[in-house]
Amino acid sequence: MDWLREILSRCGALLERKQLDHDLDDELRAHLELAIEENLRRGMTETDARTSALRAFGGLTQIKETYRQQRAIPFLEVLAQDVRYGWRRLRMSPGFTLIAVLTLAIGIGANTAIFTLVQKILLRSLPVADPSRLYRIGDRTTCCYYDGFESDTGDFDLFSYDLYRNFRQSAPEFEQLTAVQAGGSGYSVRVGNERPRPLRTEFVSGNYFATLGIGAYAGRVFSERDDQAGAAPVVVISYRAWETDFARDPSIVGATIYVQTHPFTIAGVTPPGFFGDRIVAIPPDFWMPLQTEPLIEGENSAVKQSNSAWLYAVGRLRPGVNLQSLQAKLSSVLRQWMHTQPGFTKNGKTPLIDRQHVALSRAGGGIQMLQHQTGASLRMLMILSSVVLLIACANIANLLLARGTARSAEVAVRMALGAGRKRVIRQILTESLLLSLMGGAAGIAVAYLGSRMILALAFPWARNMPVDATPSLQVLGFALLISAITGVVFGVGPAWTSSHAQPVEAIRGAARFTGERASLPQRMLVVFQIALSIVLLAGTFLMTKSLSNLEHQNLGFTTAHRYTLQIDLQGSGYKFDQLAPLHKQLQDNLSSIPGLAHMSFSRYLPLGGNQWGDCIIRQGHPAAGPNENCFSDWDRVSAGFLDSIGVPVVRGRGFTAQDTTGSEQVVIVNEKFAKTFFPGEDPIGQHFGSDSPQYSGAFKIVGVFSDFQMVDARGEMRPLFLRPMTQRFMGYKDPAQDAAEESSMFLNSLILEFATPQQDAESMIRKKIAEVDPKLPVFRMLPYDAIVAENFNQDRLITRLTSAFGFVALLLASVGLYGVMSYSVARRTSEIGIRMAIGASRTAIIRMVLRGAVWQILVGLAFGIPASFYVGHLMKSLLYHVNGFDPLALAGAAAVLGVCAGVAAFVPARRAASIDPMLALRTE
Amino acid sequence: MAAYMLNVNRKAKPVTNDKSDVLQGTLDLMILKTLESMGSLHGYGVARRIEQVSSDSLSLNQGTIYPALLRLEQRGWIKSEWGLSETNRRAKFYKLTAVGRRRIAQEEENWSRIVNTMARFLAPSS
Repeated sequence: MDWLREILSRCGALLERKQLDHDLDDELRAHLELAIEENLRRGMTETDARTSALRAFGGLTQIKETYRQQRAIPFLEVLAQDVRYGWRRLRMSPGFTLIAVLTLAIGIGANTAIFTLVQKILLRSLPVADPSRLYRIGDRTTCCYYDGFESDTGDFDLFSYDLYRNFRQSAPEFEQLTAVQAGGSGYSVRVGNERPRPLRTEFVSGNYFATLGIGAYAGRVFSERDDQAGAAPVVVISYRAWETDFARDPSIVGATIYVQTHPFTIAGVTPPGFFGDRIVAIPPDFWMPLQTEPLIEGENSAVKQSNSAWLYAVGRLRPGVNLQSLQAKLSSVLRQWMHTQPGFTKNGKTPLIDRQHVALSRAGGGIQMLQHQTGASLRMLMILSSVVLLIACANIANLLLARGTARSAEVAVRMALGAGRKRVIRQILTESLLLSLMGGAAGIAVAYLGSRMILALAFPWARNMPVDATPSLQVLGFALLISAITGVVFGVGPAWTSSHAQPVEAIRGAARFTGERASLPQRMLVVFQIALSIVLLAGTFLMTKSLSNLEHQNLGFTTAHRYTLQIDLQGSGYKFDQLAPLHKQLQDNLSSIPGLAHMSFSRYLPLGGNQWGDCIIRQGHPAAGPNENCFSDWDRVSAGFLDSIGVPVVRGRGFTAQDTTGSEQVVIVNEKFAKTFFPGEDPIGQHFGSDSPQYSGAFKIVGVFSDFQMVDARGEMRPLFLRPMTQRFMGYKDPAQDAAEESSMFLNSLILEFATPQQDAESMIRKKIAEVDPKLPVFRMLPYDAIVAENFNQDRLITRLTSAFGFVALLLASVGLYGVMSYSVARRTSEIGIRMAIGASRTAIIRMVLRGAVWQILVGLAFGIPASFYVGHLMKSLLYHVNGFDPLALAGAAAVLGVCAGVAAFVPARRAASIDPMLALRTE
Repeated sequence: MAAYMLNVNRKAKPVTNDKSDVLQGTLDLMILKTLESMGSLHGYGVARRIEQVSSDSLSLNQGTIYPALLRLEQRGWIKSEWGLSETNRRAKFYKLTAVGRRRIAQEEENWSRIVNTMARFLAPSS
């Protein structure tokens, strides 16, 4: 253990260096004095005694040095010295230090922020037992309810309950196979006598927790026994919901809550950290067994309908299962099942069954919904941030190179005084490492703020989102590694050059330079920066144009001065019979608000993020064939709906108070609908129905309104028909269809248009609704503009980030060019002085200096412009009505860059021209 | 007997396992034996004592004993404290610790093994 003791003692010595040095001096002095005393006693003269003592002792300085190296850890001591010295030098030039640290902070921060999100969204595994064995049947994220074939390729990933049970029985390769609802539901949940609150729920099969290997934090999780018709209804709540909505009340386990007015018992709480089977902005607050779905949805229940596909299937594979053969087996189960289903065999669709299949996909990271939505954007941001980092590194390299050359005189003097080359290199490297680590630390702060900001902007409605902005240890390590590498890579060059300076030159006066011979690497770095910047700027221009196209497109309806809000009628226990009087009472009450121009009810809001659609069958026509598109969106609205969103009726009439339960069933359709289903005919007076030929005479078209975007702001206009709030079609024979018809009568969205902006509109609206029913939950009350703007959230975010990156790139490139130019001007001071002394004009000097800069800019553009074309091509999928090869965007980017670079070059050029020849010649 | 140079660490280099190790070991053992026989002693005293015992046949830079003293102290074989010399001068005094005392036997054995081995090489071959 001697070595251990020795190391400990050495470490201890690091801390009290001064005291120990002092002790050593004392000890050695005592030694010499004792020796001198003895020599004197032997009769030597004082001088001889001293000389002899010193001779016997040996080299004092060498002994001290050996002693010090034995005493502590020399490497650390030298390091500490270098760090102190480096720090002093950095403090001596605060401007340089600030620029370098900021540059690195931005470069490293941007990358760390984006990488944090990539890791937490794209690369993350679910916090469940052995996630690598989880596989999903299906590989896309089709949502949320479907009947019929799901894609042109025959790929299936959304299943009905019946089909799920078939899979389960025929695939023992899965230890467990669970079914989860594809789209979550929002239900009104009442605890005791409180006002009901909207919570997020997900229906899952009874073996859900067993499949994922999740136990309960409190109480118990539910199991197969709870997922049977007739079992006592239970829910399991998430830890986060327990914290946020139930105030961590332990007595909540076993308590009763009312979901859409139906009583459920809370069986337990899931462990902290568990957020379900996918990463989403609003994870479920609680999970409900599939068999409780009929309880809530009644006859409209999806569990009971074998053709209603609404579930994803996620299973835990047994070890050693061959994926290919399992996939083939499941596909054949799918096809066999389809042959038994009229929905897939009628109307000559049977031949299509042959190409239907499923694909297995890894589900260890959960169902990849968010990943599919954000993946392309995140990957693009990753590329952009790497480019910013490259530009930042080029800048750092440039700054360090300039600094290295500037200090070569100092280094030369140090070497002339005996400093070793290794020591000099080590010192310069320490300094650049110090700088880059400072940049890295600042970058981590930038990253944390950056990823928080991005999350907040990307998911403004997030609630309990399981993605946080704190960089993980890996990411922190990655950031520090990048900064260390930056420091070493860009420190080595200047350190090497400086350490090879000839002392003689420094002493002769190395400040005399002509031309720009020495700065070739610097000029290349500037060219590189300009080329990259033009790419980022062109990207910025493209994205900005695309966003502006999106936001300023003609949506076909008006949103200004309009408020929208949601109520929850089913969740508050309203029955069908109560709807008409309630809607009327709400209408009357709200209409009394001063300044209200129009108001309307609708089932779904245009661009509100939800939709319903059906297959259209014209009266007297057969059902659509297998390859015919019969799909149309539809919405149920009150009479004032088109007025409230400013959409004109172009033919026929709109709904009136005369369209009632007793009168003929009428619909109005958009122009696209008329063109699609009644090409070249007058649609007015025609009849159509949905789903089955027997209902094809159900609705009579009485009007045509102009097109507006209902579902997808960036897509083509789609066929849409509207039905009046008051008319329920009583002819459906299938109870499920009748139940769906009934549930469509509950209109939960309101639009209120004000003639003039109202200050206290919100409180006024809430008050008027509370007057009708104080317990009716009102949520998402927002200006209609905000609802529409949400459609472009991601685009806006990506555009802003791209612009920010573009701006940073521009700034860095300009700073880089400016740095190189002013540096070269400074070095050529005496040359310029001579030129002026022998008659060069100011303009000639400016032209001479600028010529160099213009060359760099031009070469940079020559590389950057083709690269921008290529990047534009890559970005095509993210752009809306913008061509990847947009010459205008490119010209704009080149112009902005040209102007900035021009200014950056002109300032030093002017400085060069104002050099006083006499002063210049005297500088040395 | 030939005088040999103790040429420890002439170049300022950290302690490494090159051939000066053996010589270092000898110096260490000399110091330990000195302290064993003399009790508490200051650095100068140790240096003088080694010179006297070796009858000045050993050319020793007195200063080299200080790194050696430090090394022994770091290993916990000796300890030091400030005291007064016989001429009333403030000096640092070294003495053996219990650990150091135990180590002497072992070090002696090591040394005699080396001496024996060397002797076999140096003896005229039979």
